[in-house]
Amino acid sequence: MTQVIFYQLDNAATPAAIPAELAFACDVVAKCYRTNQKLTVLCADKASAEAFDELLWQLPADSFIAHNLAGEGPVGGAPVEITWGNESALRATVVNVAMQDIPNPNRYKMIFDFVPTDETAKQMARERYKTFKIAGCSMQFQKAAEFN
Amino acid sequence: MPKKIRKVFDQDGLLAQVISGYTPREPQIQMAEGVAEAVKLKQTLIVEAGTGTGKTFAYLAPAFASTGKAIISTGTKNLQEQLFHRDLPVVRDAMSSHKLVALLKGRSNYLCKFRMDQYGKTNRGLDKAQLMELTTVRSWAEGTSSGDMGELKALPENAKILPFVTSTVDNCLGRDCPDYDGCYLVKARQSALDADIIVVNHHLFFADLALKDTGFGELIPDAETIIFDEAHQVPDIASEYFGQQFSTRFLHDAARDIHQIYRTSLKDIEQADKIATKLAALAADFRLAFPEKGQRGKYIEAIENASVAETLQRLTETLHTCVDVLKVHIGRDKALDNIYERMVQAKTNLAAVTDTSVLGVSLWYETTMKQVVLHRTPLSIAEKFNEIAQSPKRSWIFTSATLMVDGGFTHFQDAMGLHSAKTMTLGSPFNYAEQAMLCVPRLLPEPSDKRMLGHLIDISKQLVRAAKGRCFLLFTSHYMLRRVAESLQEEITNKILVQGTTTKQALLDAYLADSTSVLCATGAFWEGVDVRGDDLVCVLIDKLPFAAPDDPLLQAKIDDCKKNGGNAFANIQIPQAVITLKQGAGRLIRDETDKGVLVICDTRLATKEYGKIFLKSLPPMRRTRDLQQAVQFLETLKPQR
Repeated sequence: MTQVIFYQLDNAATPAAIPAELAFACDVVAKCYRTNQKLTVLCADKASAEAFDELLWQLPADSFIAHNLAGEGPVGGAPVEITWGNESALRATVVNVAMQDIPNPNRYKMIFDFVPTDETAKQMARERYKTFKIAGCSMQFQKAAEFN
Repeated sequence: MPKKIRKVFDQDGLLAQVISGYTPREPQIQMAEGVAEAVKLKQTLIVEAGTGTGKTFAYLAPAFASTGKAIISTGTKNLQEQLFHRDLPVVRDAMSSHKLVALLKGRSNYLCKFRMDQYGKTNRGLDKAQLMELTTVRSWAEGTSSGDMGELKALPENAKILPFVTSTVDNCLGRDCPDYDGCYLVKARQSALDADIIVVNHHLFFADLALKDTGFGELIPDAETIIFDEAHQVPDIASEYFGQQFSTRFLHDAARDIHQIYRTSLKDIEQADKIATKLAALAADFRLAFPEKGQRGKYIEAIENASVAETLQRLTETLHTCVDVLKVHIGRDKALDNIYERMVQAKTNLAAVTDTSVLGVSLWYETTMKQVVLHRTPLSIAEKFNEIAQSPKRSWIFTSATLMVDGGFTHFQDAMGLHSAKTMTLGSPFNYAEQAMLCVPRLLPEPSDKRMLGHLIDISKQLVRAAKGRCFLLFTSHYMLRRVAESLQEEITNKILVQGTTTKQALLDAYLADSTSVLCATGAFWEGVDVRGDDLVCVLIDKLPFAAPDDPLLQAKIDDCKKNGGNAFANIQIPQAVITLKQGAGRLIRDETDKGVLVICDTRLATKEYGKIFLKSLPPMRRTRDLQQAVQFLETLKPQR
């Protein structure tokens, strides 16, 4: 059964220039990378994909994460692939930074999603939560601050 | 003594008294103390000292402070001269040392009066240009006291007369030479023997160590301290000298010299002259049996070609006959006796480089325009070098800005067999995060993709425009270098200097002379180029510098590693590429005020897991994947002149 985890974001300690979901997604991706879990990071648009690419690229060398943007990289992609605007080419594990609906969620093993602090976005997250649940996914909810 | 060394470098120390505006640098003092201790305790020490540490003074001071002899070996002739004429006098004066110092270059740098006279007498075999050069050499020869051809600035570095007025191991008569007493090489070696500190280069050092050159072997035994600067080059150079070679050039040279003797002193050696001529012809045939374009490859693959195998067979037989014929004339002419001895040596070497039954070596060939060289190179020198380093007991210092891979020295220690050596790492004093930016542009095709060319041209143009010239564009292949350079020449107005059009020094001079020029280069410019300040603000590297897969020695090492169950990519290819990339990147920031951008057009740095090893090994520059960030940073770096 598809596992969906929603993380409740807080605006606590993220630098203003970086959206909270990108900064937090970076930690989620790092954890998966350490356990050799290949994944797709789904971004809203090219600009946010590039911002996420930049985040990963600027990590300290010791925390390096091999990744590629859609359109570059080796055949089969790097362990972490960053994509946007194409929800059909996703891997079994998806980090939904785009915070948009994912068609046929049952096709995936694991979906990470986020609940931002902003009210409108929060409402949209509630809608997605419902959609996933109706599709029969196993749902979890966690506070970002409790992520480790 | 290690404590005493600090006094040289202190705020009010000895160096401060001779250098105006001197500021002590803690990493430099640490290194000096480390070297001093290793010298005192006769230990082996490996030091990576980041660019700007001031490692030269840090090993020179302990060398002057020690009681014994020291040999300092560096990468090239130029670096040797720089060290000897610029850095060494400063430290010696500061420390008021009375130690004798000497600069010793390789044989081919010294005038051979015997050969000059031999060719001067008849002028035969020399073309017009060579004859004019010979006149220049002869008039200089009247007045020189060192015989160092480097003094003769009027002569181009690659003057065609040089082989006729200098000697090689092959044609040197040694003690039998009528000019032995006045020999410049002998004199230079004698003054090196008398000196306390001798500056040599790696090639010379290992030629001597491997006893590939006679009459110099007495230098190393006396040294209590041996210091290698640019030590990252040592493993490759050492393995070159611990192997054997056979070059067709020797046969041509020998034939020419026999002909000269036949014409001048021994008129009755017609048979020897004939067989030597035949040998030279076969040497030429042997070259023709290979493809026209110069290449390298495995020996066993070369002899699969019937005409290569057959010519080699005939060449071998004729060489044997030639040795027999020359033997008859032993004792008649010193020059001919010498050729005989060298022929015998060549016969032995030819047997060695074609003996496929030996394990642990790589047999490979290399063809240039006119010559074929057959090589036998040991796959590892670790065991052999370890023995050398163990006895007699003395201090060995290895230092360079690029020895570590992935935070460790294992790679270097494995290659040299120096597992018990002490190691030391000194960070660069530069603020790389402030001073430099590393950009790996986004959405590039994979490095081997044909579309890369277009991207490289486009990126190069943007960088050149933003930096107003002042770029080094470094390539891993001549093909890419040529294609990008051609397009740039058509599309931008900055002067584009291309490697291969003239000598390295001339290119660098031209680059410095025009503050908006762009230099396109391969291999030779990845190392040892020191352009400080505003003249170089951007280095572009086309792709990660993994060694060419056609390098037969590398192939043999890879095969051997795999055979032993090792991961050749991780153990051999990555470390080699890391060191090369570090060297290339090192061109950018040369002092505290330098700023610049390093652009590496290879997304594998981000997409492959081994990218981590490269990033960890490079200086901690600020990173971006946005080419526009790099462009904007360059635009802020205004030219000062």
